[in-house]
Amino acid sequence: MTAAGTLNPRNVTPAPEVIDRMNTPESEPEPLLLFEQVSKWYGPLLGLNQVTLELNGGITGLVGANGAGKSTLIRLATGQIRPNLGRVRIRGTDAWDWRARRLVGYCPDTDAFYEEMTGREFVLAMARLCGFPRAEARRRTEAVLDRVGMRDRADRKLRGYSKGMRQRVKLAQALLHEPELLVLDEPMSGIDPVGRQELLELFRGLARQGKCLLISSHELEELEKLTNHVIVMARGRIAAVGTLRQIRDLMDDFPLSVRVEVDRPRELARQLIDNPDVVGLDLASDETGEYLVLRAKHPERFFRALGQCVVAERFDMRQLEPLDDTAHAVLGYLLGGSGKT
Amino acid sequence: MPAVSDRLLRYRPWRGDLQGPWAASLAIARVGLRLMIRKRLFWGLYALAAMVFFFFFYGQYLVVWIQQQTATQTVFFGGIPVKMGNLTKFLDRLHLNGSSQTFGNFIWFQGYIGMIVLALAGSVLIGNDFHHRSLPFYLSKPIGRWHYVLGKCLGIGVFVNLLTTLPALILFIQAGLLYDWKSYYVDHFRQFVGILGYGFTLTVCLSVLLMATAVSVRRAVPLIMIWTGIFFLCRVLGSFLVEGTHLDPRWRLVDLWNNLYLVGSWCLGTSRESLRPVEQPAFGEALIVVVIVCVLSLFFLRRRIQAVEIVS
Repeated sequence: MTAAGTLNPRNVTPAPEVIDRMNTPESEPEPLLLFEQVSKWYGPLLGLNQVTLELNGGITGLVGANGAGKSTLIRLATGQIRPNLGRVRIRGTDAWDWRARRLVGYCPDTDAFYEEMTGREFVLAMARLCGFPRAEARRRTEAVLDRVGMRDRADRKLRGYSKGMRQRVKLAQALLHEPELLVLDEPMSGIDPVGRQELLELFRGLARQGKCLLISSHELEELEKLTNHVIVMARGRIAAVGTLRQIRDLMDDFPLSVRVEVDRPRELARQLIDNPDVVGLDLASDETGEYLVLRAKHPERFFRALGQCVVAERFDMRQLEPLDDTAHAVLGYLLGGSGKT
Repeated sequence: MPAVSDRLLRYRPWRGDLQGPWAASLAIARVGLRLMIRKRLFWGLYALAAMVFFFFFYGQYLVVWIQQQTATQTVFFGGIPVKMGNLTKFLDRLHLNGSSQTFGNFIWFQGYIGMIVLALAGSVLIGNDFHHRSLPFYLSKPIGRWHYVLGKCLGIGVFVNLLTTLPALILFIQAGLLYDWKSYYVDHFRQFVGILGYGFTLTVCLSVLLMATAVSVRRAVPLIMIWTGIFFLCRVLGSFLVEGTHLDPRWRLVDLWNNLYLVGSWCLGTSRESLRPVEQPAFGEALIVVVIVCVLSLFFLRRRIQAVEIVS
């Protein structure tokens, strides 16, 4: 996956003959989801600013503060809105084209249903919209309801559903046509802890099947359990793309904090103080004894040097814990706040 | 809470061809119809529509029965002898005789009930999709914007025809069976076409007008107010201008419901003399107004549909 923004600019504007070549059977398959220099305005407001992005598989988290452009990106990917500049393509087809949506499943964040319908009727109606004949639509309806754990409660009217049940029904309708790309907007919202675990397992299962999941969520802890592959959005741009560790490593301006517990912390501090990557060092203590909190630039180089030092001087290392490569911390650095989205 | 199952993660391989987006329009129409039928609020209006139908149905039968069986007999009302043949004169005013006026009047009454239901149901059918943002559920499926519009219009159209065209055709068949069916169906073929034409006109006009108004105002109360303005106030205004201030009958063209009635009467082959009220604009003029309303509604819809972007 690549993305334009601060990290991995990708300026791809293939010539027509190149596109033709790409479409030939012998050529590489088109990317599942491709944003090419996409911008979107809402009147004078810039929702998305020259975003280039390519997704082909696995689970990708989409995080960012409110107004960062997450929803715009999702709506563009699912063909709900059209870009003002650039293009969004699903396997080579314009995302605005209805044919592209045969490959996309969308679980929106809104849960406005027809309250008079039962869950089963709603999912069945959505299956018919996907183009399945009646018998196949019924079969798939039962299958997806079973999949999201709603089969035995699907005959109740939607107006009586809890938030979590609504989430499950929304998810069920998105899974109906076995989409290659599944776009989920806040799928964990309102789901109880047990249900969350079940859905996390379901998402992992889908990813194992080769599906591509793009999940927007404010629940960073849940997202971290699911994937460490994230797109961080800020002010309509993609601020960073990659694993949390990769993103953290590239942020040279923000030293990594590491807690190190060894048998001789003061001696280790003396050894490391000459290392040019170490920019700060604290000796602290708690009930377990003294420990070091190091702040270092270039984490990869620093960890290599630390390892060599520990081996050479025969330190007994009990714990090595990066303190700020959590999603919250990374977001905090990137977005200039607490990291809370 | 039941566990999420991983057993069915792999479906039986789908070997059939997916139906196109036009089939999805049918699914949308079905959902719309189901919503309208389920609303208990409308059941009273449906009962009224059924009463109107049965009135015409048994009325036609009664007229024929009186004419053929008891026309020469005398009955007593409060001790006063009345010839049965005179009773049918009262019924003649209602034109319950399988003529073009029978079907024109019937569709007029039924269409009015349908129009009231649509005014009440517009927000549920269409407005809520925009107002409560349930549109993404539709438009995230493999259909285009126009397939969605077509589906909604189809739903409205089927509903209108269930109230008007279908029962009118039943009355037509009944009239043929009551009279000499061999000659009736041939002689009154124009009425058969007229029923279809009147129904088609109502279907197209009401569906595109409802789509256009519901897409723009979305909520129930403003929608009802707009439809009241179009179909009731404009009717009163038209009558006032022509009958009250004795202006040219063309002023009645502001009454869209009357224009639909005129177009329907033209389809049915009704003579101008038998129209009520008598002072009416020409059939062609009414047709032009109806076409203009439909074209303007479609033009407005096109603009809205091109701009349909689901933005919160």
